Amino acid sequence: MLKIIVLIKQVPDIERVRFDVETGRIDRSSAPAEINPFDLNALEAAVQIKEKVGGFITALSMGPMQALSSLRDAMARGADDAILLEDRRFAGADTLATSNTLAAAIRKIGPYDIILCGEKTVDGDTGQVGAEVAQLLEIPHVYYVSRIVNVSGNSITVVSETEDASYVLETGFPVLVSVTRDVNKPRLPTLKSKMKAMKSEVKIWHAEDLSGFLDLDKAGYAGSPTWVHKVVVQREKTRQVRIYRQVEDGIQELMRLLESKGLI
Amino acid sequence: MEGLAEQLEEIVGREAVVSGKDKIESYLSDETCFPVRPSAVSDCILVKPANSTEVSRILRLANEKRIPVYPRGGGTGLVGGAVPTRSGIIVSLERMNRIEVDGENLMAVAEAGATLGELLKAAEEAGLSFPPHPGDEGAQIGGLVACNAGGARAVKHGVMRSFVKGLEVVLPTGEIVTFGGRLLKDNMGYSLMHLIIGSEGTLGIITRVVLRLNPKAPYSFTLLLPFNSRHDALNTVPRILRSGVTPLALEYVEKELMELSAEHLGEKWVFEGKVFLIAILAGEENVVYSEAEKLSQLCVENNGLEPSVAERRDEQESILRIRSNIYTALKRDSMDILDTTVPPSAIGKLADAIDTIAEKYGAHIPVYGHAADGNVHSHIMKKDAEKYELIKREIYETTIGLGGTISGEHGVGKIRVKELYRFTHPKKIELMKGVKRLFDPNNILNPSTVLEV
Repeated sequence: MLKIIVLIKQVPDIERVRFDVETGRIDRSSAPAEINPFDLNALEAAVQIKEKVGGFITALSMGPMQALSSLRDAMARGADDAILLEDRRFAGADTLATSNTLAAAIRKIGPYDIILCGEKTVDGDTGQVGAEVAQLLEIPHVYYVSRIVNVSGNSITVVSETEDASYVLETGFPVLVSVTRDVNKPRLPTLKSKMKAMKSEVKIWHAEDLSGFLDLDKAGYAGSPTWVHKVVVQREKTRQVRIYRQVEDGIQELMRLLESKGLI
Repeated sequence: MEGLAEQLEEIVGREAVVSGKDKIESYLSDETCFPVRPSAVSDCILVKPANSTEVSRILRLANEKRIPVYPRGGGTGLVGGAVPTRSGIIVSLERMNRIEVDGENLMAVAEAGATLGELLKAAEEAGLSFPPHPGDEGAQIGGLVACNAGGARAVKHGVMRSFVKGLEVVLPTGEIVTFGGRLLKDNMGYSLMHLIIGSEGTLGIITRVVLRLNPKAPYSFTLLLPFNSRHDALNTVPRILRSGVTPLALEYVEKELMELSAEHLGEKWVFEGKVFLIAILAGEENVVYSEAEKLSQLCVENNGLEPSVAERRDEQESILRIRSNIYTALKRDSMDILDTTVPPSAIGKLADAIDTIAEKYGAHIPVYGHAADGNVHSHIMKKDAEKYELIKREIYETTIGLGGTISGEHGVGKIRVKELYRFTHPKKIELMKGVKRLFDPNNILNPSTVLEV
């Protein structure tokens, strides 16, 4: 039975959320919070692996108490256990401090075979946490996995996409696998599992619970070497699309525009 | 038509008058399946008035000169209603697109050319909602009212008619009249407003509409109820309705069509089960959950499989997108799309009868629909073109036999006039013609639509 850990982040529904253009801040109250869409693929991959070779899935997240709803959703979608890392001292973390905290929790969880995560989150968009966690745990990682070709009790074969090639890679355990949205189509939870998950217990670990595993100087705001200098929110621009029924007119206008910009 | 363009330019300004086939081409057709779409006459002048006074002057002029006038909204109709079939004037309401939300009275006042998408957005921004969703969000309010559009979300709150509280209409003789208002009760004489709603642009041009809005539901939820048999699924529908749970929408779909539509969209349909009921529930979270449990129980009692639930916006939208695009996925190969409607309890019989008809003619007739409304969409495919008339006639006769109607949503337009006559008592046709003559003595407004006068 494989021990699988899935990293989950709660994010705002990014298509609904409003940004304050002046301050560059996200107005979190403007949109519902939910599991990062890429993490749903990671969770579905975990469930498919479990269905194939058997396993126990732990969903792990760091965030405020509101993130409990996302962990319950993860349980409705097939996680057997869920842990929320919640503490004031974890807050304000950059990717490194987040990775330190997650890696500490994973060490505390104990032996594991596969850690799965989404390739990035839709709010931060860095795609760094998975690889950093693997590095801190000193285990190999495979990124941009678009397909899981095969999995057995002691190895996994995946397709990893890079800009210029697709690699078929086989690795033993433990390993961290970061998946893209192509890896699967996440199923919906059943109503029954959803109702059950609403009553399920999610473990909450505070800083004290990680003592011996986490150096608090490396967590939260205090442990974050990244300083955000300024956030610029791009204003939406409307593209000036023009359709010319007479091809000649279109070409002439195009020539005029290119000339006016000194491009030809 | 001599000198007409100049006279129209005087009314609406030079920029708002367009002629020439290539320039007005996109105004000559609608979404009617190509094989049955009426052929358009391109010798038309397109005008885009900016207000009801201009619409009134256009109609006075047309009435005086006895020139046909074709009102045009978003062009999303499915029965050729907006297609100009004689040389005349196309009146597009697109420039009249203002929307005002009256939060105190929970109403929106929309000009006819505002789109459904714009209305939904305006309501949302005001913290309110407009529950019906008759499909294409590019449809314009005037057209939606003129065609009494329906769609999926009619189960709980009804079709367009249920939301229209007031109208401003320009009559074919040029008078600008208003009906109703920001009123929930109005019994001042005959309800001519309800005569205009669904008149398909034949009695007047709707220029402004007062629509009722609802408070926004705090929570919504799409429940997927899978079954292995059509009978089990459709038998569950009346039980759901009797249970006291009234979903916003209750749709019936079959697996192969959902797979086809998903593929057409580049998505995947991954659910077990041969047929599905899709229920949209909205309200307070705890209420929605207990309603979902009730539906789930009914599903299981009727041999259904384990229901799934979409709570996230992206997952709900994906299911509804795949459902709505059954139509687009099939359309290219479709000869005609029927919208027959029967009493809700007879929907299973109608669906089975359509299967029997398909078998009899060796045809393929995909079926889906708005289950709780008894509204079945069946596509007669191009490959069965030779038997089209026979198949259509049998489906219509079966529907009428079950106490139904040949059109629950799309209307009569220009392609179902013959059938309207066939299945309607002659006295009713005579009354309809009388009404048409009263409003439009010279038969200038959208002629050959609904009736031949």
